[in-house]
Amino acid sequence: MEFFVQQLVNGVTLGSVYALIALGYSMVYGILKLLNFAHGEVYMMGAFIGYFVLVGLGGAASPILPVALVIILMFLAGMLGAGILGIAIERFAYRPLRNAPRIAPLISAIGVSFFLQASALLLFTAQFRTYNTPELIPFSVGIEVGPLRISLVRILVITSAIALMIALWLLVNRTRLGKAMRATSYDREAAAMMGIDVDRVIVATFFIGSVLAGAAGVMVGLVFGRVFHFMGFIAGLKGFTAAVIGGIGNIPGAMLGGLLIGLAEAFSAAYISSTFQNLIVFGILITVMLVRPSGLLGSPVLKKV
Amino acid sequence: MKRTRWLILLTLVVALASIASGCGGDDGDDEAADTAPVGDTGAEAVECSGTVGIMGPFTGDAASIGQEQLNWAKFAVDTFNEENATDFVLEEGDTQLDPAQASTVAPQFVSNSDIFGIVGPAGSQEIEAVGEIFGREGIAFVSPSATATDLTERFETFFRVVPTDADQGPTDATYMAEELSAQKVLIIDDQTSYSTGLADSTSDALEEAGVTVERESVSQDQTDFSALVSGVAGDTDVVFLPWQIAANAQLFGNQMAEQGKEAVIFGSDGLFSPDDFSIEGSYVSSFAPDITGLDDPAVQELATAFEQEYGDFGTFGPPTFAATTVVIDAAYRACQDGEEPSREVVLENVETTDFSESILGQPIAFDENGDIQDATFFIFQIAADGSYELVQ
Amino acid sequence: MPRIGTDEWVAQAETRTEHYRGFTAPARRVWDRVTPGARFALFLAVAAAFPFTTDSTFLQRVGVNVLLFALLALGLNIVVGWAGLLDLGYVAFYGFGAYAYAWVSSSQFDLHWPTIATIPAVVVASALLGVLLGLPSWRLVGDYLAITTLFFAQIFVELAVNLDRINLPGSDEPLNLTGGPNGIPGVDPMVIFGIEFLRVRDYFFLLLVVLALVVVGLYSLNDSRTGRAWRAVREDPLAAELMTTPVNRMKLLAFAMGAAIAGLTGTIFAAVQVGVFPQNFEVTLLIMIYAALILGGAGSIQGAILGAIVVASVPEILRTPENARYLFYGALIAVLVAAVRPWQRLAVLVGAAVAFGFAVHEIVALVWPDGVEAGTRGEGLGSLLDSWVVLPAVERVLIGNIAFVLLIAAVLALTQLRRDSRFLLLVPTIYLAAFVWENRLVFQPSVTRQLLFGAILVAMMTRRPHGLLGTPRVENPV
Repeated sequence: MEFFVQQLVNGVTLGSVYALIALGYSMVYGILKLLNFAHGEVYMMGAFIGYFVLVGLGGAASPILPVALVIILMFLAGMLGAGILGIAIERFAYRPLRNAPRIAPLISAIGVSFFLQASALLLFTAQFRTYNTPELIPFSVGIEVGPLRISLVRILVITSAIALMIALWLLVNRTRLGKAMRATSYDREAAAMMGIDVDRVIVATFFIGSVLAGAAGVMVGLVFGRVFHFMGFIAGLKGFTAAVIGGIGNIPGAMLGGLLIGLAEAFSAAYISSTFQNLIVFGILITVMLVRPSGLLGSPVLKKV
Repeated sequence: MKRTRWLILLTLVVALASIASGCGGDDGDDEAADTAPVGDTGAEAVECSGTVGIMGPFTGDAASIGQEQLNWAKFAVDTFNEENATDFVLEEGDTQLDPAQASTVAPQFVSNSDIFGIVGPAGSQEIEAVGEIFGREGIAFVSPSATATDLTERFETFFRVVPTDADQGPTDATYMAEELSAQKVLIIDDQTSYSTGLADSTSDALEEAGVTVERESVSQDQTDFSALVSGVAGDTDVVFLPWQIAANAQLFGNQMAEQGKEAVIFGSDGLFSPDDFSIEGSYVSSFAPDITGLDDPAVQELATAFEQEYGDFGTFGPPTFAATTVVIDAAYRACQDGEEPSREVVLENVETTDFSESILGQPIAFDENGDIQDATFFIFQIAADGSYELVQ
Repeated sequence: MPRIGTDEWVAQAETRTEHYRGFTAPARRVWDRVTPGARFALFLAVAAAFPFTTDSTFLQRVGVNVLLFALLALGLNIVVGWAGLLDLGYVAFYGFGAYAYAWVSSSQFDLHWPTIATIPAVVVASALLGVLLGLPSWRLVGDYLAITTLFFAQIFVELAVNLDRINLPGSDEPLNLTGGPNGIPGVDPMVIFGIEFLRVRDYFFLLLVVLALVVVGLYSLNDSRTGRAWRAVREDPLAAELMTTPVNRMKLLAFAMGAAIAGLTGTIFAAVQVGVFPQNFEVTLLIMIYAALILGGAGSIQGAILGAIVVASVPEILRTPENARYLFYGALIAVLVAAVRPWQRLAVLVGAAVAFGFAVHEIVALVWPDGVEAGTRGEGLGSLLDSWVVLPAVERVLIGNIAFVLLIAAVLALTQLRRDSRFLLLVPTIYLAAFVWENRLVFQPSVTRQLLFGAILVAMMTRRPHGLLGTPRVENPV
């Protein structure tokens, strides 16, 4: 039984990270119908920013501020830095392509992705960086659930992911900006005619999506410890997968998609085989897609005839 | 209108004047940095120049390995040039560990007549793709990291400064079976050619010694090893990780500790990286002693100089230094004999390489296939403070 | 290009060409009278002459890579450009073709079929695989189809890496199907009608012949009922179905044809590389094929070929540090020439930048002698730049990195400013660009290659969103 709960925790931790990345993809897609392939690199930069803040504050072994404060600062810096990067990418690589065929910004995104990866290599070198979390928060700190111990870091990650998702939900459904975002994603031209500043809404969307990705980056650094220039590519693919599985453009769907992938990975590795883990996960996802062709929570695309 | 024209003219004149004065040029002198001697290179300094090519994954997902190799190669070239007042140059060929790119870079190096020898490629599969090309042209290529056992037999101009899987596997297996008295070993490979080759070799040796072996495999891109760790059976004594990326093993080890698994980790030489992998109580094997722990002061100075310029390093760097030095030294000996460092001469000289000491802490000489002779493996255990202690 | 009857085409020549202006106008008028067939023949002739212009096997290999990319882009064009199906699993067909060739032409299973038999067999098998993997397109559209096909591509690589120890129930020895991470090395060279293809140059000509056949085939396919049916499926599947187009069958046909071309290309690739390895078929390759197709203009044959030429050759050009430097400064100058008008302004700008540079150099030399150092790469352009660019002798990497970040910030700021302040910021930005190049980028050719390639992709897409040879299309906003 503990084994099952253990995998549940593993899966939820992983899934929360994927969900945060998927949210960025879904939000941007909802508004611009654009798949932002550079999103993974934003996540990577968030992780690096968090790393440098940690090192600047004395490193994991001897921080000059209390640990809680250090972690909060890392999050804030990573999120803010990622947000600014996201805005810059939008302005430079996507805005000129606002009215281009849907597939053109894809290549621009790919170009940005190459550029950012190479920049990370140039600026930070290819060395793996680690947050060295066990020094910051020892393993022994955690919650005991029977014979199982869930470490504080994982709890932190899961709760902050949930907090962010709730905050996002509130933003989208309860604020004026959220209303504007929903309107713009429904029909951009009509929204503009209703007096919504579409450009500002788009910038805000990119900012929020990138902030979430930056938070995911810092979380991954905390829980899984490895920060390197290529991490964005892999995570970006998974986040993109999660967003589409859940129904692209659909925010709760992105969260669900991320969780599904995280759980699938954890359970298939633990119960079946680690060697074929990826194959099993792909198999599960293909089945999901064939059973629900518009994604888990996506609505079927209605065509106006 | 007229005023604008005069303004433009004036600006152009000023610009031209600056160029003219600037072209006089100011010469600053290059400060020669103080570095340690790399070893005996012969009686007098002789003029020598040429280009060494290096192939490896300098971008892409294996860049951590390739960049370390590249930096050490640059360091080797610079050190040799300063030591011997030569003029060797390094040329890069990025392959991203993809044999298709390697087989595009190889003809590029072949057509560059300045290149007399090659360091790399890094991966065994790349060597499959380029071995014929270099063999036909008679160019020596010395790899610092390809360990698939049969490569040196199949390709005549191929050399390597690292021992093969057939050497490392049995050594590690013997240690696990005898010193650690392991009854059950879990071997997890990371789906690369280095890893599966070594895993197979170790697994065979372990089974011959009567140890139960379980095999698993995981991708290098895996974010999280928790599920894999939770599947490690309670009665497993040793988990053998023939991985290339030490940071992955660190995460694995952390998660083992987190889940209270008691099996001890035994890593192959890919994990030999005191900065990245420091799980207390783990074992790591390496074909050369830790160069920062070596007694030789010359090697210590090299390590310190490298760290000052490029930062931390792990296990892939020093062999690249050795490989580059082998190639350059072969060319230098040609110059000392009064010949041009052509590809044939360099190839012959590489074959007759005979360093009594090297950065790897052991002599370097090649057997008739191209493998390094008398390769020994050392086993280390990681102490509480993260340092590596020699245990065998 | 819509095909009008030949006499109509000739009759409308005047209206078509009368708006050509500038000094390229006469050349364009002549070019316009040349039929597409003749243009392609000209292209083939130039390409055929290419291997004889150089002895370098490297350039011949680059040529082979270009042709491989061109074929892949053409195959992908059928699925993505003509039928409008977003297929992210295309490399799986390429890989399948390569592995299939390796299975029957190497010592893996000790089969050595003659090439005459292998190629058709592999092509048919790839087409069947295409039909199989195209089945999800009946139920999935758009991005959902994309993700499912992406899974297939990833599954292919996973299978290739892991299927080297399959434990069959009936036998002791595990079956080694794909060679695992080590791949299948040592495949036989191709032998067609007694001609042995041993050198890179031979494969170049083989690929050229295949390209010619494929292009001719695709061109007539595009003009046929099938091509029109695909266009209908792309634009509006519902309407197409109402007009009795067998939409599902058309989708499968598109997949099958794309897969067949990819499989064929795969066999030749396996023969060229003399081996097949899983690392050849990663997602990165898929991205490059898409970049080639979209850069050239999705939906047009010429676009696919042009895009392939650009995407396959630019990274190789950038491999040589000298070329990369010329490209960098050349691009800088080209951008300035294009963006700053009239030419008087440009002249002032260049003069100001040069003067600024020397001023900074002198100031730094006075204030901080370590900030200036002796020459970098001494010939020609390099030595001229030595006295213009500040070359710090200490902390070069750190200063270079900071300058790099500042440069990016400056370029972004430039896009937001108006005329005069933009002009003012441009001067130090040009100097900063040269500074970053000489101090940081020039020492990292491999990383710079990727950097420049990414920047080129972004620049090209933002300048011409429809691709180099694509026609602007209006898409229905959803």
